[in-house]
Amino acid sequence: MLKYILKRILLFIPTILAISLVTFLISQNAPGDPVESMLNKQSGESQMADKLASEKQYLQLKSKLGLDLPVFYMSMSTMASCDTLYKVVRMDEKAKLDKMTSLYGNWAAISRFNDESRKVYKGITVIPSDSLNSEKLIEIRALSNELIKQFRIENIKKSIDTIKTLCGSIPSLQEYKTAVAGLAEPLSAIENNKTVWKNYIPTLHWYGSNNQYHHWITNFFKGDFGISYQDQRPIGTKIWDAMKWTMLLNLISIILTYIISIPMGVYSAKNKGTTVDRVSTASLFMLYSLPNFWIGTMLVVYLCNPDFLNWFPPYGTGEAGNFKDIAWHLILPILCITYPSFAFISRQMRGGMLTVLGQDYIRTAKAKGLSDKVVTWKHALRNSLLPIITMFASVFPLALSGSIAIELIFSLPGMGQLSVNAINARDYPMVYTVMMFTSILTLIGFLVSDVLYSLTDPRITFTKK
Amino acid sequence: MFNRNKKNSTPIDPKNLDQSFKAYVIRQFKKNKLAVVSLWILFFLVLVAVFADFIANEKPIICKYKGQTMLPILKGYAVDLGLSKWDQELSNVKWSTLEYDMVVFPPIPYLPTNIDFDNAQYQSPFGDQVVKSKKWWHWFGTDELGRDVLSGIIHGTRIALIIALFSTIIATIIGIFLGSLAGYFGDDNFHTTRIEFWLFMIMFILGCFYGFVTRGFVLSEAMSSDSLLSFFKEFLISIFILVAFVFASIPISKILAKIPFLGKQVNVPFDMMINRVIEIFVCVPRLFLIIAIVAAVKSPSIWWLIFIIGITSWTGITRFIRAELLRVRNLEFIEAAKSLGYTEKRILTKHAIPNSLSPVLIDIAFLVASTVLIEASLSFLGIGTSSDTITWGKILALARKQNSAWWLAVFPGFMIFLTVTIFNLIGEGLTDALDPKLKK
Repeated sequence: MLKYILKRILLFIPTILAISLVTFLISQNAPGDPVESMLNKQSGESQMADKLASEKQYLQLKSKLGLDLPVFYMSMSTMASCDTLYKVVRMDEKAKLDKMTSLYGNWAAISRFNDESRKVYKGITVIPSDSLNSEKLIEIRALSNELIKQFRIENIKKSIDTIKTLCGSIPSLQEYKTAVAGLAEPLSAIENNKTVWKNYIPTLHWYGSNNQYHHWITNFFKGDFGISYQDQRPIGTKIWDAMKWTMLLNLISIILTYIISIPMGVYSAKNKGTTVDRVSTASLFMLYSLPNFWIGTMLVVYLCNPDFLNWFPPYGTGEAGNFKDIAWHLILPILCITYPSFAFISRQMRGGMLTVLGQDYIRTAKAKGLSDKVVTWKHALRNSLLPIITMFASVFPLALSGSIAIELIFSLPGMGQLSVNAINARDYPMVYTVMMFTSILTLIGFLVSDVLYSLTDPRITFTKK
Repeated sequence: MFNRNKKNSTPIDPKNLDQSFKAYVIRQFKKNKLAVVSLWILFFLVLVAVFADFIANEKPIICKYKGQTMLPILKGYAVDLGLSKWDQELSNVKWSTLEYDMVVFPPIPYLPTNIDFDNAQYQSPFGDQVVKSKKWWHWFGTDELGRDVLSGIIHGTRIALIIALFSTIIATIIGIFLGSLAGYFGDDNFHTTRIEFWLFMIMFILGCFYGFVTRGFVLSEAMSSDSLLSFFKEFLISIFILVAFVFASIPISKILAKIPFLGKQVNVPFDMMINRVIEIFVCVPRLFLIIAIVAAVKSPSIWWLIFIIGITSWTGITRFIRAELLRVRNLEFIEAAKSLGYTEKRILTKHAIPNSLSPVLIDIAFLVASTVLIEASLSFLGIGTSSDTITWGKILALARKQNSAWWLAVFPGFMIFLTVTIFNLIGEGLTDALDPKLKK
């Protein structure tokens, strides 16, 4: 048995690694720049003047978070693209360079043009404002922004030409006119030495272990989950705070579910076809199909509302430490989390019990003269528990999924809300950690259910067949 | 099943003459009254979804305006397809305010996005609505902006059913494909040559490269343009390139297999590989996974949602068909087919899969139910569809802002409940009809 458990735990490793890769892949393709939103949160929308200062800040933050490293151990790309593109830190700049290489294929010329156009752009941003030509200046600034954003040569040429004429009309800006005119040469270099064919040759780049994925996964197994992008708090403590509530809710709910649904399933299977059975089967079916976020909303609308019945508080967890208050707040959420699984398990229990009661050994047990109680609760129950035990494995993912909407409706600070907020805020360290935790818990659930399986049914062994 | 004695003693009910399995299942299914009623309700919902534009619309169905007879709703379709154009004065017009010679409006003269300023701020169905006549009454009330809830529910039916239908189709295709590979070949029944295996892998990677890396620019341009059709076209071309590469590997490897080292037989453990993939999907909560992927899409639309729900929901069907094929592959008729010298492909597609498909119907019915639920919870959380698409979940979510507006919670929630229930009931009916244990 111990050997079997060890073997299973070893088999977890490839699964967990694969899940971590999937999570990583999803986050890498997500739009939006987390560093940008982090900075915006810290300082509000940055003004044109302190853009240069914020550029420096941006670079610092990005390297602090390790986002200036290559993403993975290796990458496969075209021969045209640059293997050190990850060193370009700005997301939008990276995307632009990527598009330009796809279009024109000569990285050296593109990179030279990019550097020079950024220089010109920076020069233009520091032009002091001038009340006489303010409208033209605004236009020049907008166009210089286009210079570094556009990726089609025709469009860039157009911006260069307009900036030139605009600068030409203002005497104080002559130097910028020459600077912008200087861009024409590197630009034509891109156009003249097009190597689009390079896009059709695959190349493999090897980056070694100094990459984002490696750092994240090794830190994860060391127990360092990183800091949240949203509020810079350590992820470990944030998850622990949220986990407490979700665990509390779901533990109570699981205990309630099993305590009520097993006897109920057994009773209705034993009295098959009676009115009680038919009513309970029908109502369980209804409960099973009722979406719990609807019931949650309805409960808030009708029971937490001064217009109808003001019996329960509509949201929050209540005053910390005040047991009665907390319980008062948690009754409705627990109800909403419990009833779907209650309906599901009762139905399963009834089905399993019905199959078992029709078996020969039950008849034998009865013929032996055992009491009805012993037959039902000792012989039949143990065998009909098997399908219920398989379901134990999916308790953890169901608990998280099921509580997302409920926690939102009742404003409970649990895992569901935490993870949805993290996804919406592109807080990827948080998303990774939550995903990894739930998958590890689920795998443990699988293992526990297998072990329980063999405890209930001694015929099932995990030693070699 | 149908024994001879009975046949001789009692006259056969003419309805039961057809003794094929299909006819038998249909007869069994019809015995389950609830399932049959559910099927009728589903039929009704499909009708509502198909004709939503004729049931709830701001445009008249038929009207005579300035001496000209028109069918504005049909014309609207033509304009959307680019076949026709609105007259100058009719484009961007408020249809309800025009003066017609003759007009027939749809039963509910509102679109879900129409804002009725007179009835803004949550008008109850029984409240004092400011309307011209009973015709313009908001039967299910309005929301904060004054949008008609009933119209939203009617058009929401269409979205709910489209998402449920198409994502189930995607999930079923993936599920049947992977499940039959895993179930029929198992861990040690699929042999191939060494070269075929490795060449397949290499060509797959190359196909991905030419289909998606080299064409990455074209694809991302098409994605950022608003037309979903153009993206779909480019995406299909990429898929075509990938498939072409994979198929090209077959003849090449046939030739190279003549070399002894490369032609050595190797075993591909499909069952183990596919089971590991399923394990990954089962470990991450489905709703959570879908939310994470939807967040990674730049501009979510219902087609994206369909795609994402589809590629995350196939595990149940795969398991189902795998188990069924594990049973079927040991039956006599497969052995017979093998001894006749049929190819593996022919046995799998013509004999094994068709004979294991019927139980999958049950799983499909339950899958549709869970898809409706997932779509509703996603839009309840405000994830996945653009803000001008009105869905049941979104209307339900509005009730959270205004607790006293009970009509925002009751009606859409009931529709979700109804749809989920009928699919569950149909699934139950199919289980009873297909279960061989109940055959008598």
